[in-house]
Amino acid sequence: MLLRCGESLIFRYLRKIIVLVFSGVLMLSATNASAAGGGHDEDGKFNAGDVIIGHILDSYDWHIMDIGSTPVSIPLPVLLMYEGRFYFFLSSRFHHGHSAYKGFGIAHEGPKKGRIIKVLDEELTPDPQASFLLDLSITKNVFSVFISGFLICVIFISVGRRYQRGGSQVVPRGLQSFLEPIILFVRDEIALSAIGEKHHQRFLPYLLTLFFFIFFNNLLGLVPFFPGGANVTGNISVTLVLALFTFFTTQLFSTKGYWTHIFNTPGVPVWLKLPLPLMPIIELVGVFIKPFVLMVRLFANITAGHMIILGFVSLIFVLGSVASVMGFVISPLSLVFLVFMNFIELLVAFLQAYVFTLFSALFFGMAVPEEHHH
Amino acid sequence: MELVSPGLGLIFWMTLAFGIVLLVLRKYAWRPILNTIREREMYISKSLRDAQHIQRELAALEKLKESKLKDAEKLRLELLAQARNEADDIIRLARQKASTDVTQMMEDAKRAVEAQRKSVINEIRGQIALLSVDMAEMVLEGELKNKKASTDLVNQLLDKVILN
Repeated sequence: MLLRCGESLIFRYLRKIIVLVFSGVLMLSATNASAAGGGHDEDGKFNAGDVIIGHILDSYDWHIMDIGSTPVSIPLPVLLMYEGRFYFFLSSRFHHGHSAYKGFGIAHEGPKKGRIIKVLDEELTPDPQASFLLDLSITKNVFSVFISGFLICVIFISVGRRYQRGGSQVVPRGLQSFLEPIILFVRDEIALSAIGEKHHQRFLPYLLTLFFFIFFNNLLGLVPFFPGGANVTGNISVTLVLALFTFFTTQLFSTKGYWTHIFNTPGVPVWLKLPLPLMPIIELVGVFIKPFVLMVRLFANITAGHMIILGFVSLIFVLGSVASVMGFVISPLSLVFLVFMNFIELLVAFLQAYVFTLFSALFFGMAVPEEHHH
Repeated sequence: MELVSPGLGLIFWMTLAFGIVLLVLRKYAWRPILNTIREREMYISKSLRDAQHIQRELAALEKLKESKLKDAEKLRLELLAQARNEADDIIRLARQKASTDVTQMMEDAKRAVEAQRKSVINEIRGQIALLSVDMAEMVLEGELKNKKASTDLVNQLLDKVILN
């Protein structure tokens, strides 16, 4: 009886205890902030901008934490092709960007800042006569994409097997019953409503993969430690590839009706088409703008979310470096905002996956118009 | 600037990874999942249709049963009425037959009695004739002998006849 009383008391105050413990940890971190290694100016002051950008950008090693002023990170493989020769080594050779290896180094400034360049010396002076350097390194984001891709494959293949084994007359259970409503949502609310009954099945595998890939990477991006934390869907290269997939799929499946709609839009006055082909130009530009907008929307939304969360974390350290007391004062408040933002980001993770998939489906729907649409 | 400039390596790996994930999932995940879901939906809609069908059939059967029951009830009443009528007829006929038989028998008896009576009368008539002849003979004989005696005799004979 007494035990149960104690238990319920613990549960009742669990949330408060967690908040207290975490804010305590954050306060301790805040007081140590000025001693920590990363994100500091030369004079040792905490630089929030560097921290935030450093977390958002891709990198050649997976930074986990700093102990004292020594960064602890997972070195990732570097794969370079320069003048017909392959170079393969671990990024730990760069000593966190402080030294060069085999004539390569991580640029500290210039347009290629943060990327591997050909350098002349240990001072990392860029080689002005360097030819094209193909950088196929497994960076943090590449590694994260591999992890999430593997995770998605494992999850959905196991779920798919369960479907195959169980057949159509078995009630879904476990992970299967959690994922089935989402799969049905993508099928009915996205593919079926945007593309139509006739063609939607052709695009379903792509739309489902797209949705879950973005959704999983968004969620993994919210996890603050390994294997999450990489800003995959907030990286312009990743969203570019996804948008290109949608773009090429649209063109690949496009019918005559789609191109007629672009070059001879029905229901538009003739003077908008001849002699100056105003509408065709606008429509043709639209073909390229659509995937471009897809790319920017996902990138900007996820990056902005990460920035805000990192901003609230940095606030503690910024104020803590001014005066420890201010760090103590601000940390509970910052934590409240952080929790709130994380919930918003959970929503955004789903919403952006939904929006990207929905717009892709809409573009496919335009590429394969059903006759009665006009 | 680095934030918005795509990196070639990441593009390459991302295309490769996403393409592989897409192909693998299409074959090993989406196909079985979507097929099974479609099969299940078809099974459910078929079951619903079947259930509706069966319900309709059941209702039709119920109606049929009721109408059959009603028919049977009607038939029973009809049979009952018919049987009663037939029984009545049989009784009436029997009565009729009995009464005609009785009259017949009575008429027969009457006729027999009549015939017997007639024969008796005829016999009596014959006897009387014989007796008259005998008496006339005797009277004529007594007349011839004794007037008085003959008168007595006639009286005596008449008494006898009357008594008979």
